[in-house]
Amino acid sequence: MDNLSALLEGFATVVQPVYLLYALFGVFIGTAVGVLPGIGPAMTIALLLPLTYSLEPTAAIIVFAGIYYGGMYGGSTTSILLNTPGESSSIVTAIEGNKMARAGRGAAALATAAIGSFVAGSIATVALTFVAPVVARWAVQLGEPDYFALMVVAFITVGALLGTSVSRGLASLSLGLFLGLVGTDTLTGQQRFTFGVPNLADGINVVIVAVGLFAVGEALYVGSRLRHGPVRVIPVEKGWRTWMKRSDWKRSWKPWLRGTLIGFPVGTIPAGGADVATFLSYATERRLAGSRRDEFGRGAIEGVAGPEAANNAAASGVLVPLLTLGLPTTATAAIIIVAFQSYGIQPGPLLLQSESALVWALVASLYIGNLMLVVLNLPLVGMWVRVLQIPRHYLYAGIILFGALGSYALNFSPIDVLLLLVIGLIGFFMRRYGYPVAPMVVGMILGPMAEDRLRRSLAISQGDLSYLVTSPFAAIAYGSIIVLVGLGIWLQHRERRVSAELEKIAEGVRDAVATQEVSR
Amino acid sequence: MSPEEAPAGGGETAAARGDRPARRPGELVLAVATLALGVFVLVQAGTINVPGSTNTLGPRAFPYLVGAMAAIVGAILVIAVLRGKYGQEEGGEDVDAGAKTDWLTVVLLCVVFVVHVFTINLIGWPFAAMILFGGASFILGARPWWRALLTGLALGLVIQFVFGGLLGLSLPPGPLLEGVAIFRG
Repeated sequence: MDNLSALLEGFATVVQPVYLLYALFGVFIGTAVGVLPGIGPAMTIALLLPLTYSLEPTAAIIVFAGIYYGGMYGGSTTSILLNTPGESSSIVTAIEGNKMARAGRGAAALATAAIGSFVAGSIATVALTFVAPVVARWAVQLGEPDYFALMVVAFITVGALLGTSVSRGLASLSLGLFLGLVGTDTLTGQQRFTFGVPNLADGINVVIVAVGLFAVGEALYVGSRLRHGPVRVIPVEKGWRTWMKRSDWKRSWKPWLRGTLIGFPVGTIPAGGADVATFLSYATERRLAGSRRDEFGRGAIEGVAGPEAANNAAASGVLVPLLTLGLPTTATAAIIIVAFQSYGIQPGPLLLQSESALVWALVASLYIGNLMLVVLNLPLVGMWVRVLQIPRHYLYAGIILFGALGSYALNFSPIDVLLLLVIGLIGFFMRRYGYPVAPMVVGMILGPMAEDRLRRSLAISQGDLSYLVTSPFAAIAYGSIIVLVGLGIWLQHRERRVSAELEKIAEGVRDAVATQEVSR
Repeated sequence: MSPEEAPAGGGETAAARGDRPARRPGELVLAVATLALGVFVLVQAGTINVPGSTNTLGPRAFPYLVGAMAAIVGAILVIAVLRGKYGQEEGGEDVDAGAKTDWLTVVLLCVVFVVHVFTINLIGWPFAAMILFGGASFILGARPWWRALLTGLALGLVIQFVFGGLLGLSLPPGPLLEGVAIFRG
């Protein structure tokens, strides 16, 4: 029960007016950038990181928690109201939600997404509250080889699953691992891959790489193939109180709970993060729909409610390995680790003891942020619609400017900004040729940690390689790689088949809309 | 995300497919670069100093692993591309799946960015920001040019005031605003 009292103390911290304001600021910014196309939570946190150095750790972590949850909420608004799918985890929402909006049921889609996110977020945060301490207690017993095994699992699943092509994901991962090598070796003090440049002796700053890949690379890529003309947003009826009819509630509440049940566990294991969870939930809802199955692909509310809930539950699930093992399983989680490290805090099994106040303040701010989000989101949807309509030339110019500001603010050195452009160009080419950028960020952050574990393991065993696999946990972990990757690839195939099916229906609708417009 | 999932319209998807042969060389370059990086890391790892006191695993081992991984994946990718298996370029809300890559835009954006970098210390951050924002938005289609530039200036001054003045980030205000207290933390 001491977890509960710790949590209550966390609440006591967070409800102080200053921290409430920080939380509000976080969820507000998070939702705004979540709504904006082209910006995800990983990039937002990376951008804001240098700018929050003047804040104390608790305030900064609360802001980041708000951004994290807010970003998850905002994405669904975009995919429902814009006519093209956005960030990958909301693709299925885009399919069903967009169809609903076109049929004049956009308000119901937005409401079921927002309330579903709230339900899932709240339940998953409760789960996090109880699961995290258990995992942390168990993780203390893990040895060096066990951690190394866990990291190898994370490398392989992140590399193989965060993208459409396994080999390209692994290439991106190895590029990230290389960037992680640059600098001074921590154990022997030898310089590696610094090419005699003194600036590189401290290594390449992760913030520059993350902002370069996510912000500048994205802006360059979108700029190279910008969709010109006005932004077409599907109009939503006014009066949010009547958004969900009784029948909508009846059809939504089960998918919310099922989505949560699927999302949280999938989020906790390194298996590709929210994408897999949303897809699994979508497939489940489709299977369980019975007589309503025909509606799927044409705007079924279950197809919005379930995946949105799964998406948010997975986002909380990701925090379990992040806080208890220091293991990032998504790009956003990797950036959050960097944020922690920049305040001198190392996530891991001891975090709950050494920084207990901070962790529980973070968890408490997740509860409060969730509440703020559902209150903010529904009434403010008119404003988010206006945010969606920002002219794209200003939007992407702004993204580039804030990226440049963020990396300049690290050391106030123009060289960093130049390096940002170089990384941005790499990100541009990777996007253009289908290399996912997320594994690169994860590899860069996790690489040095993995090397450390590996060398310490072998120092203990005095060079005996079998020590790496003889502990039962490590053996199970290596065995699970095969299962996880096999499952992941099978899922991707299924996902592609289903989305191809849905795309056919979508094209039919688009053609019909186009002919209507022409005949008008 | 595959381009098939985000076509702007039925007819334009075909145009995107017709674009494919044109990007063969670029994709091959990236695959070869991955392979080359792997080989480079493998070779360079051998030159890392190993202090005598190191027991078992020294500073070279992990670079060897990383280099080997990049080289193997790079080789697989080169073979895949040569056999005609291409990557799926990333989609997005604002990406026109039917459009060809506009290289001029990319080059111009980079030029504006470099100008920004070299003007920060010369004319101050707010004005360098004006160049970057105004230039980038003009390149991306903002008209008329002076409105883009003025928006950039306003944004630059506001950021300078908020982050430089209020939050105490030491952004250089530049010679023009040197004496203005609100822009300095």
